[in-house]
Amino acid sequence: MEQRENDKIKFTYTDDGILYTDCFPNTIMTLVDGKESTRISAEMVNFTPRPLLCDLTNVVSMTQDCRKHFASADHAATFSKCALIVTSPISRVIGNFFLGLNKPLKPTRLFTNKEEGLKWLRE
Amino acid sequence: MSDLDNDKRLNEILEMIGRVAALDFSRMLPVSSKNDMIDAIALGLNMLSEELNANVVERSKLDSINTKLEKFAYTTAHDLRSPLNSITGLVTLLELTVNPEKNSEVDNYISKLKTTTEQMKSLVQGILEYSKVNVGSVLMEDIDLNNLVKTVIDTDELKERAVIKIFDPLPSVCFNKSAMDQIIRNLLSNAMKYSDKKVCEIIVKGEEVDGRYQIAVTDNGPGIAPEHQDKIFELFNKVESEVKADSHGIGLATVRSILNAFGERIWVKSILGEGATFYFTIKKRR
Repeated sequence: MEQRENDKIKFTYTDDGILYTDCFPNTIMTLVDGKESTRISAEMVNFTPRPLLCDLTNVVSMTQDCRKHFASADHAATFSKCALIVTSPISRVIGNFFLGLNKPLKPTRLFTNKEEGLKWLRE
Repeated sequence: MSDLDNDKRLNEILEMIGRVAALDFSRMLPVSSKNDMIDAIALGLNMLSEELNANVVERSKLDSINTKLEKFAYTTAHDLRSPLNSITGLVTLLELTVNPEKNSEVDNYISKLKTTTEQMKSLVQGILEYSKVNVGSVLMEDIDLNNLVKTVIDTDELKERAVIKIFDPLPSVCFNKSAMDQIIRNLLSNAMKYSDKKVCEIIVKGEEVDGRYQIAVTDNGPGIAPEHQDKIFELFNKVESEVKADSHGIGLATVRSILNAFGERIWVKSILGEGATFYFTIKKRR
């Protein structure tokens, strides 16, 4: 298992090949944060797309250019499928908005608990 | 948080909805650290406003580019008319001067030169007609479609090239006369141009559907494949020129452009090999 973190996100790459990203409380995601997240993720999975479990619960805002970045080919190159964990009202809005408008390039689904998200990622 | 606070937040949301509806995207709602449903709605509205703003900006940029392109097309086509007319005159002079033997090599070249020049003139005319579509200050008048269709048939001597039937009296409509003339002329000549039958048959019908007139022009031609039924209305589409070499793919684009400019629409229904029916709508007179 490998762990890294910056001032907004904690990254965990487990031995079973799943990358977890957890945002710290009251995170506002900007394009710079999005690109940084993509760079760290890519390094941790050694530039090979792996399943990603991304917990958006603590995100309170995500800028438009950041949403675009997360829907881009650059970011999609880091994961094979993505489970977005949305347990707070705001994260639900961000998740739904992301799926509805930004149309991610790889399979992406929303979950309200991690276990279900992990189950889907392991399928 | 008290009911009073929530009322204030909900009022801000209602005001924001009003602003967005009026295409004012300058306001962003405050999102508190409560992370409750009202915050979620406020954030969602903020994001929607951002996306709508980006779309509106993009759309107005495209509109501006389109307007410039149309003006450019009009100016270019307009300026090309004069040298093209000169070429036509010069080719005739050349023919008279050289007086080539019939079917000789020179005669063939001159004949090809004439045909090519005529094709270019027709293309330029088509672009001019397409670019002229503008409803800014056009005269709307009462038009008896029966008379208009009959006039087009007589003026263009269409009876010699097709059997055209008008089913039931067509309605009288309020429209710009030269625009309606162009629509009917384009649709009838289109049906004849692509006809693959010994006798080209065309039926023109009108009926009232959902409070609007719906005019249908049906032909017994080759029909249009489903995958081409939208493309034929695009400017310079290749579908028309693939079927008919001398087609520039302008006629139907012009018809659609006119109708869209008046808030009307056109579409086609067709089964390949069984002809086609072009429908367009016209608002009823009040």
